Amino acid sequence: MQNQEEHVEESETEKMTSTQPSEVDDWANFRDDDIMQQQSAIQAEEAEKIPFVGDKEPLSSLADEYRSGSPILLEKIKVLTDQYAAIRRTRGDGNCFFRSFMFAYLEHIMESQDEAEVDRIKANVEQCRMTLQSLGYAEFTFEDFFALFLEQLESVIQGSEASISLDELIQRSRDQSVSDYVVMFFRFVTSGEIRKRSEFFEPFILGLTNASVEQFCKSAVEPMGEESDHVHITALSDALGVPIRVVYLDRSSCDNGSVSVNHHDFIPVSNNLPCASNGGTEATNPFITLLYRPGHYDILYPK
Amino acid sequence: MQASRARLFKEYKEVQREKSADPDIQLVCDDSNIFKWTALIKGPSETPFEGGVFQLAFSVPEQYPLQPPQVRFLTKIFHPNVHFKTGEICLDILKNAWSPAWTLQSVCRAIIALMAHPEPDSPLNCDSGNLLRSGDIRGYQSMARMYTRLAAMPKKG
Repeated sequence: MQNQEEHVEESETEKMTSTQPSEVDDWANFRDDDIMQQQSAIQAEEAEKIPFVGDKEPLSSLADEYRSGSPILLEKIKVLTDQYAAIRRTRGDGNCFFRSFMFAYLEHIMESQDEAEVDRIKANVEQCRMTLQSLGYAEFTFEDFFALFLEQLESVIQGSEASISLDELIQRSRDQSVSDYVVMFFRFVTSGEIRKRSEFFEPFILGLTNASVEQFCKSAVEPMGEESDHVHITALSDALGVPIRVVYLDRSSCDNGSVSVNHHDFIPVSNNLPCASNGGTEATNPFITLLYRPGHYDILYPK
Repeated sequence: MQASRARLFKEYKEVQREKSADPDIQLVCDDSNIFKWTALIKGPSETPFEGGVFQLAFSVPEQYPLQPPQVRFLTKIFHPNVHFKTGEICLDILKNAWSPAWTLQSVCRAIIALMAHPEPDSPLNCDSGNLLRSGDIRGYQSMARMYTRLAAMPKKG
Protein backbone atom coordinates (compact mmCIF):
# COMPACT_ATOMS: atom_id res chain seq x y z
CA MET A 1 0.00 0.00 0.00
CA GLN A 2 1.53 3.27 -1.03
CA ASN A 3 1.15 6.03 1.44
CA GLN A 4 -0.14 9.49 0.98
CA GLU A 5 3.19 11.16 1.64
CA GLU A 6 4.39 10.01 -1.72
CA HIS A 7 1.50 11.81 -3.33
CA VAL A 8 2.30 14.97 -1.46
CA GLU A 9 5.87 14.78 -2.66
CA GLU A 10 4.68 14.16 -6.17
CA SER A 11 2.43 17.12 -6.04
CA GLU A 12 5.23 19.38 -4.93
CA THR A 13 7.51 18.39 -7.73
CA GLU A 14 4.55 18.71 -10.01
CA LYS A 15 3.94 22.26 -8.87
CA MET A 16 7.42 23.22 -9.84
CA THR A 17 7.35 21.65 -13.23
CA SER A 18 3.78 22.31 -14.21
CA THR A 19 4.48 25.85 -15.36
CA GLN A 20 6.39 24.48 -18.30
CA PRO A 21 4.32 21.82 -20.04
CA SER A 22 6.15 18.55 -19.84
CA GLU A 23 8.22 17.68 -22.83
CA VAL A 24 7.81 13.98 -22.48
CA ASP A 25 8.64 12.57 -25.85
CA ASP A 26 9.93 9.42 -24.35
CA TRP A 27 7.51 6.82 -25.61
CA ALA A 28 9.99 4.13 -24.66
CA ASN A 29 8.83 3.86 -21.07
CA PHE A 30 5.25 3.77 -22.21
CA ARG A 31 3.99 0.37 -21.11
CA ASP A 32 1.19 0.09 -23.64
CA ASP A 33 3.84 0.40 -26.27
CA ASP A 34 5.64 -2.61 -24.84
CA ILE A 35 2.46 -4.63 -24.88
CA MET A 36 1.76 -3.67 -28.48
CA GLN A 37 5.31 -4.53 -29.47
CA GLN A 38 5.08 -7.88 -27.82
CA GLN A 39 1.77 -8.52 -29.52
CA SER A 40 3.12 -7.68 -32.94
CA ALA A 41 6.15 -9.89 -32.28
CA ILE A 42 3.82 -12.79 -31.56
CA GLN A 43 1.86 -12.00 -34.71
CA ALA A 44 5.05 -11.92 -36.74
CA GLU A 45 5.98 -15.33 -35.36
CA GLU A 46 2.58 -16.70 -36.36
CA ALA A 47 2.93 -15.12 -39.79
CA GLU A 48 6.05 -17.21 -40.41
CA LYS A 49 3.99 -20.36 -39.98
CA ILE A 50 1.17 -19.61 -42.39
CA PRO A 51 0.36 -16.66 -44.65
CA PHE A 52 -3.00 -14.89 -44.32
CA VAL A 53 -4.18 -17.14 -47.15
CA GLY A 54 -2.32 -20.37 -47.91
CA ASP A 55 -1.83 -22.38 -51.08
CA LYS A 56 -4.46 -24.78 -52.38
CA GLU A 57 -3.72 -28.21 -50.95
CA PRO A 58 -5.26 -31.60 -51.72
CA LEU A 59 -7.66 -32.78 -49.03
CA SER A 60 -5.20 -35.55 -48.17
CA SER A 61 -3.12 -32.94 -46.36
CA LEU A 62 -6.00 -32.60 -43.92
CA ALA A 63 -5.99 -36.34 -43.30
CA ASP A 64 -2.23 -36.22 -42.69
CA GLU A 65 -2.83 -33.73 -39.92
CA TYR A 66 -5.02 -36.18 -38.02
CA ARG A 67 -3.13 -39.35 -38.80
CA SER A 68 -2.65 -40.20 -35.14
CA GLY A 69 -5.77 -38.36 -34.05
CA SER A 70 -9.41 -39.13 -33.52
CA PRO A 71 -10.76 -41.98 -35.67
CA ILE A 72 -14.06 -40.14 -36.00
CA LEU A 73 -12.28 -37.20 -37.63
CA LEU A 74 -10.39 -39.46 -40.01
CA GLU A 75 -13.64 -41.18 -40.89
CA LYS A 76 -15.26 -37.79 -41.56
CA ILE A 77 -12.37 -36.58 -43.69
CA LYS A 78 -12.85 -39.70 -45.79
CA VAL A 79 -16.51 -38.72 -46.25
CA LEU A 80 -15.44 -35.19 -47.19
CA THR A 81 -13.09 -36.58 -49.82
CA ASP A 82 -16.11 -37.87 -51.75
CA GLN A 83 -17.38 -34.36 -52.26
CA TYR A 84 -14.42 -32.06 -51.90
CA ALA A 85 -11.10 -31.95 -53.67
CA ALA A 86 -8.99 -29.36 -51.93
CA ILE A 87 -8.54 -27.05 -49.00
CA ARG A 88 -6.96 -23.61 -48.72
CA ARG A 89 -5.92 -22.71 -45.20
CA THR A 90 -6.07 -19.28 -43.65
CA ARG A 91 -4.16 -17.88 -40.71
CA GLY A 92 -5.76 -18.38 -37.30
CA ASP A 93 -5.59 -14.75 -36.29
CA GLY A 94 -9.26 -14.26 -35.42
CA ASN A 95 -10.00 -12.95 -38.91
CA CYS A 96 -10.07 -16.35 -40.59
CA PHE A 97 -13.79 -16.33 -41.40
CA PHE A 98 -13.66 -12.92 -43.09
CA ARG A 99 -10.36 -13.71 -44.80
CA SER A 100 -11.67 -17.04 -46.11
CA PHE A 101 -14.81 -15.35 -47.36
CA MET A 102 -12.79 -12.62 -49.06
CA PHE A 103 -10.60 -15.00 -50.98
CA ALA A 104 -13.33 -17.51 -51.82
CA TYR A 105 -15.60 -14.77 -53.12
CA LEU A 106 -13.00 -12.97 -55.23
CA GLU A 107 -11.67 -16.24 -56.60
CA HIS A 108 -15.21 -17.26 -57.55
CA ILE A 109 -15.75 -14.01 -59.42
CA MET A 110 -12.41 -14.39 -61.14
CA GLU A 111 -13.27 -17.89 -62.32
CA SER A 112 -16.89 -17.30 -63.22
CA GLN A 113 -16.48 -13.77 -64.63
CA ASP A 114 -20.05 -13.33 -63.48
CA GLU A 115 -20.66 -9.65 -64.14
CA ALA A 116 -24.30 -9.88 -63.12
CA GLU A 117 -23.15 -11.02 -59.69
CA VAL A 118 -20.66 -8.14 -59.54
CA ASP A 119 -23.41 -5.65 -60.33
CA ARG A 120 -25.65 -7.27 -57.76
CA ILE A 121 -23.10 -7.15 -54.97
CA LYS A 122 -22.16 -3.56 -55.83
CA ALA A 123 -25.78 -2.58 -55.27
CA ASN A 124 -25.67 -4.34 -51.89
CA VAL A 125 -22.41 -2.60 -50.99
CA GLU A 126 -24.07 0.71 -51.78
CA GLN A 127 -26.94 -0.32 -49.50
CA CYS A 128 -24.43 -1.10 -46.74
CA ARG A 129 -22.85 2.32 -47.16
CA MET A 130 -26.24 3.95 -46.65
CA THR A 131 -26.93 1.72 -43.66
CA LEU A 132 -23.73 2.88 -41.95
CA GLN A 133 -24.49 6.50 -42.77
CA SER A 134 -27.97 6.25 -41.33
CA LEU A 135 -26.54 4.61 -38.20
CA GLY A 136 -24.41 7.71 -37.71
CA TYR A 137 -20.99 6.46 -38.81
CA ALA A 138 -18.82 9.25 -40.20
CA GLU A 139 -18.22 8.47 -43.88
CA PHE A 140 -14.48 9.06 -43.63
CA THR A 141 -14.13 6.29 -41.05
CA PHE A 142 -15.26 3.55 -43.45
CA GLU A 143 -14.97 4.86 -47.03
CA ASP A 144 -11.34 3.77 -47.52
CA PHE A 145 -12.26 0.19 -46.65
CA PHE A 146 -15.22 0.22 -49.05
CA ALA A 147 -13.08 1.68 -51.83
CA LEU A 148 -10.43 -0.99 -51.40
CA PHE A 149 -12.96 -3.82 -51.60
CA LEU A 150 -14.56 -2.38 -54.75
CA GLU A 151 -11.10 -2.02 -56.25
CA GLN A 152 -10.40 -5.73 -55.68
CA LEU A 153 -13.79 -6.59 -57.14
CA GLU A 154 -13.01 -4.61 -60.32
CA SER A 155 -9.59 -6.15 -60.65
CA VAL A 156 -10.75 -9.78 -60.72
CA ILE A 157 -12.93 -9.02 -63.73
CA GLN A 158 -10.68 -9.64 -66.71
CA GLY A 159 -10.13 -7.44 -69.71
CA SER A 160 -9.37 -4.09 -68.18
CA GLU A 161 -6.13 -2.35 -67.33
CA ALA A 162 -6.66 -3.06 -63.66
CA SER A 163 -7.21 -6.80 -64.17
CA ILE A 164 -5.08 -9.17 -62.14
CA SER A 165 -4.17 -12.86 -62.33
CA LEU A 166 -4.95 -15.52 -59.74
CA ASP A 167 -1.35 -15.37 -58.54
CA GLU A 168 -1.71 -11.67 -58.01
CA LEU A 169 -4.96 -12.17 -56.13
CA ILE A 170 -3.12 -14.58 -53.84
CA GLN A 171 -0.31 -12.05 -53.37
CA ARG A 172 -2.77 -9.28 -52.51
CA SER A 173 -4.58 -11.52 -50.08
CA ARG A 174 -1.27 -12.03 -48.32
CA ASP A 175 -0.41 -8.35 -48.33
CA GLN A 176 -1.56 -6.87 -45.06
CA SER A 177 -2.31 -3.45 -46.50
CA VAL A 178 -4.90 -4.98 -48.86
CA SER A 179 -6.02 -8.04 -46.94
CA ASP A 180 -6.66 -6.38 -43.60
CA TYR A 181 -8.50 -3.50 -45.27
CA VAL A 182 -10.87 -5.91 -47.01
CA VAL A 183 -11.39 -7.83 -43.75
CA MET A 184 -12.20 -4.52 -42.09
CA PHE A 185 -14.65 -3.71 -44.88
CA PHE A 186 -16.52 -6.94 -44.06
CA ARG A 187 -16.47 -6.06 -40.37
CA PHE A 188 -18.09 -2.70 -41.07
CA VAL A 189 -20.70 -4.33 -43.31
CA THR A 190 -21.44 -7.02 -40.69
CA SER A 191 -21.73 -4.51 -37.89
CA GLY A 192 -24.03 -2.28 -39.93
CA GLU A 193 -26.34 -5.20 -40.76
CA ILE A 194 -26.53 -6.34 -37.12
CA ARG A 195 -27.33 -2.85 -35.90
CA LYS A 196 -29.84 -2.21 -38.64
CA ARG A 197 -31.76 -5.36 -37.71
CA SER A 198 -30.95 -5.28 -34.03
CA GLU A 199 -34.31 -6.65 -32.93
CA PHE A 200 -33.69 -9.73 -35.11
CA PHE A 201 -30.12 -10.29 -33.92
CA GLU A 202 -30.62 -9.42 -30.26
CA PRO A 203 -31.75 -12.87 -29.03
CA PHE A 204 -28.84 -14.58 -30.82
CA ILE A 205 -26.39 -12.13 -29.31
CA LEU A 206 -27.86 -12.60 -25.86
CA GLY A 207 -27.32 -16.32 -26.37
CA LEU A 208 -23.61 -15.76 -27.01
CA THR A 209 -22.76 -13.06 -24.50
CA ASN A 210 -24.44 -10.81 -22.04
CA ALA A 211 -23.81 -7.78 -24.20
CA SER A 212 -26.27 -5.43 -25.85
CA VAL A 213 -26.31 -5.32 -29.64
CA GLU A 214 -24.36 -2.08 -29.56
CA GLN A 215 -21.73 -3.46 -27.18
CA PHE A 216 -21.47 -6.66 -29.20
CA CYS A 217 -20.80 -4.75 -32.41
CA LYS A 218 -18.23 -2.53 -30.74
CA SER A 219 -16.37 -5.30 -28.94
CA ALA A 220 -16.87 -8.45 -31.03
CA VAL A 221 -17.48 -7.36 -34.62
CA GLU A 222 -15.64 -4.13 -35.43
CA PRO A 223 -12.26 -4.79 -33.77
CA MET A 224 -9.80 -6.74 -35.93
CA GLY A 225 -8.94 -10.18 -34.62
CA GLU A 226 -12.29 -10.80 -32.95
CA GLU A 227 -13.50 -14.24 -33.96
CA SER A 228 -16.68 -14.80 -35.90
CA ASP A 229 -19.70 -16.75 -34.85
CA HIS A 230 -22.94 -17.66 -36.59
CA VAL A 231 -24.22 -14.14 -35.89
CA HIS A 232 -21.39 -12.64 -37.97
CA ILE A 233 -21.88 -15.14 -40.78
CA THR A 234 -25.62 -14.61 -40.94
CA ALA A 235 -25.22 -10.85 -40.97
CA LEU A 236 -22.52 -10.79 -43.64
CA SER A 237 -24.40 -13.24 -45.84
CA ASP A 238 -27.59 -11.19 -45.53
CA ALA A 239 -25.91 -7.83 -46.05
CA LEU A 240 -24.06 -8.82 -49.20
CA GLY A 241 -26.69 -11.31 -50.40
CA VAL A 242 -24.11 -14.09 -50.72
CA PRO A 243 -25.02 -17.61 -49.59
CA ILE A 244 -22.34 -19.44 -47.61
CA ARG A 245 -22.01 -23.15 -46.86
CA VAL A 246 -20.19 -24.11 -43.69
CA VAL A 247 -19.08 -27.72 -43.33
CA TYR A 248 -18.51 -28.80 -39.76
CA LEU A 249 -15.61 -31.06 -38.96
CA ASP A 250 -15.79 -32.00 -35.29
CA ARG A 251 -15.92 -35.11 -33.21
CA SER A 252 -19.68 -35.38 -32.95
CA SER A 253 -21.07 -38.68 -34.18
CA CYS A 254 -24.41 -40.36 -34.65
CA ASP A 255 -25.65 -42.99 -32.23
CA ASN A 256 -26.12 -45.59 -34.91
CA GLY A 257 -22.41 -45.58 -35.64
CA SER A 258 -22.64 -44.14 -39.13
CA VAL A 259 -20.47 -41.14 -39.81
CA SER A 260 -21.77 -38.14 -41.68
CA VAL A 261 -20.48 -34.63 -42.01
CA ASN A 262 -22.91 -31.87 -41.14
CA HIS A 263 -23.12 -28.67 -43.01
CA HIS A 264 -25.21 -25.57 -42.69
CA ASP A 265 -26.16 -23.21 -45.49
CA PHE A 266 -26.47 -19.56 -44.64
CA ILE A 267 -28.99 -18.31 -47.17
CA PRO A 268 -29.43 -14.55 -47.27
CA VAL A 269 -32.85 -13.15 -46.54
CA SER A 270 -33.54 -11.28 -49.71
CA ASN A 271 -34.37 -7.63 -49.45
CA ASN A 272 -35.57 -7.33 -53.02
CA LEU A 273 -38.47 -9.66 -53.66
CA PRO A 274 -38.24 -10.04 -57.46
CA CYS A 275 -34.90 -11.75 -56.99
CA ALA A 276 -36.29 -14.13 -54.42
CA SER A 277 -39.22 -15.21 -56.54
CA ASN A 278 -37.20 -16.21 -59.56
CA GLY A 279 -34.21 -17.35 -57.55
CA GLY A 280 -35.32 -20.86 -56.70
CA THR A 281 -32.63 -23.43 -56.07
CA GLU A 282 -30.17 -21.66 -58.31
CA ALA A 283 -29.93 -18.66 -56.04
CA THR A 284 -29.72 -20.73 -52.90
CA ASN A 285 -26.86 -22.97 -53.91
CA PRO A 286 -23.82 -21.49 -52.17
CA PHE A 287 -20.69 -21.06 -54.25
CA ILE A 288 -18.66 -20.39 -51.13
CA THR A 289 -17.85 -23.38 -48.95
CA LEU A 290 -15.92 -23.03 -45.73
CA LEU A 291 -14.61 -25.78 -43.52
CA TYR A 292 -15.20 -25.15 -39.84
CA ARG A 293 -13.15 -26.86 -37.21
CA PRO A 294 -13.89 -25.62 -33.69
CA GLY A 295 -12.34 -22.15 -33.57
CA HIS A 296 -11.21 -21.92 -37.19
CA TYR A 297 -12.39 -21.51 -40.79
CA ASP A 298 -10.63 -22.57 -44.00
CA ILE A 299 -11.78 -22.66 -47.62
CA LEU A 300 -13.05 -25.91 -49.16
CA TYR A 301 -13.14 -26.69 -52.89
CA PRO A 302 -15.85 -29.04 -54.18
CA LYS A 303 -14.97 -31.63 -56.80
CA MET B 1 1.82 4.83 -44.31
CA GLN B 2 0.04 6.51 -47.19
CA ALA B 3 -3.32 5.20 -45.98
CA SER B 4 -2.78 6.45 -42.44
CA ARG B 5 -1.70 9.86 -43.68
CA ALA B 6 -4.77 10.15 -45.88
CA ARG B 7 -7.05 9.13 -43.05
CA LEU B 8 -5.43 11.58 -40.60
CA PHE B 9 -5.80 14.36 -43.14
CA LYS B 10 -9.53 13.59 -43.33
CA GLU B 11 -9.72 13.74 -39.55
CA TYR B 12 -7.84 17.03 -39.62
CA LYS B 13 -10.37 18.53 -42.03
CA GLU B 14 -13.24 17.18 -39.96
CA VAL B 15 -11.77 18.71 -36.81
CA GLN B 16 -11.48 22.10 -38.54
CA ARG B 17 -15.03 21.89 -39.83
CA GLU B 18 -16.56 20.82 -36.52
CA LYS B 19 -14.51 23.05 -34.30
CA SER B 20 -17.43 24.45 -32.39
CA ALA B 21 -19.42 21.20 -32.27
CA ASP B 22 -17.72 19.93 -29.13
CA PRO B 23 -16.63 22.78 -26.86
CA ASP B 24 -15.11 20.35 -24.36
CA ILE B 25 -12.47 19.12 -26.80
CA GLN B 26 -9.77 21.07 -28.56
CA LEU B 27 -7.80 18.77 -30.81
CA VAL B 28 -4.66 20.14 -32.45
CA CYS B 29 -2.31 18.55 -34.94
CA ASP B 30 1.42 19.15 -34.70
CA ASP B 31 2.51 21.74 -37.30
CA SER B 32 5.14 19.56 -38.84
CA ASN B 33 3.99 16.01 -38.10
CA ILE B 34 0.49 14.71 -38.79
CA PHE B 35 1.23 11.65 -36.63
CA LYS B 36 1.52 13.77 -33.48
CA TRP B 37 -1.53 15.45 -31.97
CA THR B 38 -2.39 17.06 -28.68
CA ALA B 39 -5.79 17.65 -27.17
CA LEU B 40 -7.11 19.84 -24.41
CA ILE B 41 -10.17 18.35 -22.76
CA LYS B 42 -12.38 19.84 -20.09
CA GLY B 43 -12.97 17.86 -16.94
CA PRO B 44 -16.61 16.72 -16.96
CA SER B 45 -19.01 18.59 -14.70
CA GLU B 46 -20.12 17.07 -11.41
CA THR B 47 -16.84 15.19 -11.15
CA PRO B 48 -13.69 16.07 -9.17
CA PHE B 49 -12.18 17.09 -12.51
CA GLU B 50 -14.70 19.86 -13.15
CA GLY B 51 -13.05 23.17 -13.95
CA GLY B 52 -9.79 21.52 -14.96
CA VAL B 53 -8.30 21.45 -18.42
CA PHE B 54 -6.29 18.32 -19.20
CA GLN B 55 -3.73 17.91 -21.91
CA LEU B 56 -3.49 14.66 -23.85
CA ALA B 57 -0.68 13.58 -26.17
CA PHE B 58 -1.44 11.39 -29.19
CA SER B 59 1.14 9.39 -31.06
CA VAL B 60 -0.38 7.77 -34.13
CA PRO B 61 1.20 4.58 -35.53
CA GLU B 62 1.80 4.05 -39.23
CA GLN B 63 -0.76 1.25 -39.22
CA TYR B 64 -3.51 3.66 -38.16
CA PRO B 65 -6.49 3.30 -38.36
CA LEU B 66 -6.07 -0.49 -38.19
CA GLN B 67 -4.12 0.09 -35.00
CA PRO B 68 -5.08 2.50 -32.23
CA PRO B 69 -3.32 5.75 -31.45
CA GLN B 70 -1.23 5.87 -28.30
CA VAL B 71 -2.70 8.39 -25.94
CA ARG B 72 -1.68 9.62 -22.53
CA PHE B 73 -2.30 12.40 -20.12
CA LEU B 74 0.39 15.07 -20.00
CA THR B 75 -1.47 16.79 -17.18
CA LYS B 76 -1.20 15.06 -13.81
CA ILE B 77 -4.49 13.39 -12.89
CA PHE B 78 -5.59 11.23 -9.94
CA HIS B 79 -7.82 8.61 -11.53
CA PRO B 80 -7.93 4.82 -11.12
CA ASN B 81 -7.40 4.15 -14.82
CA VAL B 82 -4.59 6.61 -15.48
CA HIS B 83 -1.01 5.85 -14.47
CA PHE B 84 -0.01 8.49 -11.96
CA LYS B 85 3.53 8.92 -13.28
CA THR B 86 3.35 8.19 -17.00
CA GLY B 87 -0.20 9.31 -17.77
CA GLU B 88 -0.86 6.01 -19.53
CA ILE B 89 -4.58 5.29 -19.87
CA CYS B 90 -6.29 1.95 -19.31
CA LEU B 91 -9.13 1.96 -21.78
CA ASP B 92 -10.26 -1.02 -23.87
CA ILE B 93 -10.72 0.95 -27.09
CA LEU B 94 -7.05 1.96 -26.97
CA LYS B 95 -6.12 -1.72 -26.91
CA ASN B 96 -8.00 -4.81 -28.01
CA ALA B 97 -11.38 -3.16 -28.56
CA TRP B 98 -9.99 -0.60 -31.01
CA SER B 99 -11.56 -0.33 -34.44
CA PRO B 100 -11.21 2.12 -37.32
CA ALA B 101 -14.74 3.33 -36.56
CA TRP B 102 -13.14 5.38 -33.77
CA THR B 103 -11.49 8.71 -34.47
CA LEU B 104 -9.10 10.88 -32.50
CA GLN B 105 -12.08 13.06 -31.64
CA SER B 106 -14.24 10.16 -30.46
CA VAL B 107 -11.30 8.81 -28.44
CA CYS B 108 -11.26 12.15 -26.60
CA ARG B 109 -14.96 11.74 -25.89
CA ALA B 110 -14.34 8.22 -24.57
CA ILE B 111 -11.61 9.55 -22.28
CA ILE B 112 -13.95 12.24 -20.93
CA ALA B 113 -16.52 9.50 -20.30
CA LEU B 114 -13.85 7.46 -18.48
CA MET B 115 -13.05 10.47 -16.28
CA ALA B 116 -16.71 10.61 -15.23
CA HIS B 117 -17.05 6.84 -14.86
CA PRO B 118 -13.86 5.34 -13.45
CA GLU B 119 -13.41 1.57 -13.56
CA PRO B 120 -11.75 0.84 -10.22
CA ASP B 121 -11.54 -2.89 -10.96
CA SER B 122 -8.83 -2.44 -13.57
CA PRO B 123 -6.68 0.19 -11.91
CA LEU B 124 -3.41 1.65 -13.13
CA ASN B 125 -3.40 3.89 -10.09
CA CYS B 126 -3.98 1.47 -7.24
CA ASP B 127 -4.25 4.13 -4.55
CA SER B 128 -7.04 5.77 -6.42
CA GLY B 129 -8.67 2.43 -7.22
CA ASN B 130 -8.46 1.28 -3.62
CA LEU B 131 -10.18 4.40 -2.34
CA LEU B 132 -13.10 3.76 -4.67
CA ARG B 133 -13.20 0.04 -4.06
CA SER B 134 -13.25 0.48 -0.32
CA GLY B 135 -16.14 2.86 -0.72
CA ASP B 136 -14.24 5.98 0.32
CA ILE B 137 -15.87 8.17 -2.32
CA ARG B 138 -15.14 11.30 -0.33
CA GLY B 139 -11.46 10.42 -0.03
CA TYR B 140 -11.22 9.73 -3.76
CA GLN B 141 -13.01 12.91 -4.69
CA SER B 142 -10.91 15.13 -2.47
CA MET B 143 -7.64 13.65 -3.73
CA ALA B 144 -8.79 13.93 -7.33
CA ARG B 145 -10.00 17.49 -6.79
CA MET B 146 -6.72 18.47 -5.16
CA TYR B 147 -4.72 17.28 -8.16
CA THR B 148 -7.15 18.95 -10.52
CA ARG B 149 -6.49 22.24 -8.71
CA LEU B 150 -2.75 21.70 -8.56
CA ALA B 151 -2.19 20.55 -12.09
CA ALA B 152 -5.16 21.29 -14.32
CA MET B 153 -6.29 24.78 -13.38
CA PRO B 154 -4.68 28.03 -14.38
CA LYS B 155 -2.72 29.60 -11.53
CA LYS B 156 -4.33 32.69 -10.11
CA GLY B 157 -2.42 35.91 -9.67
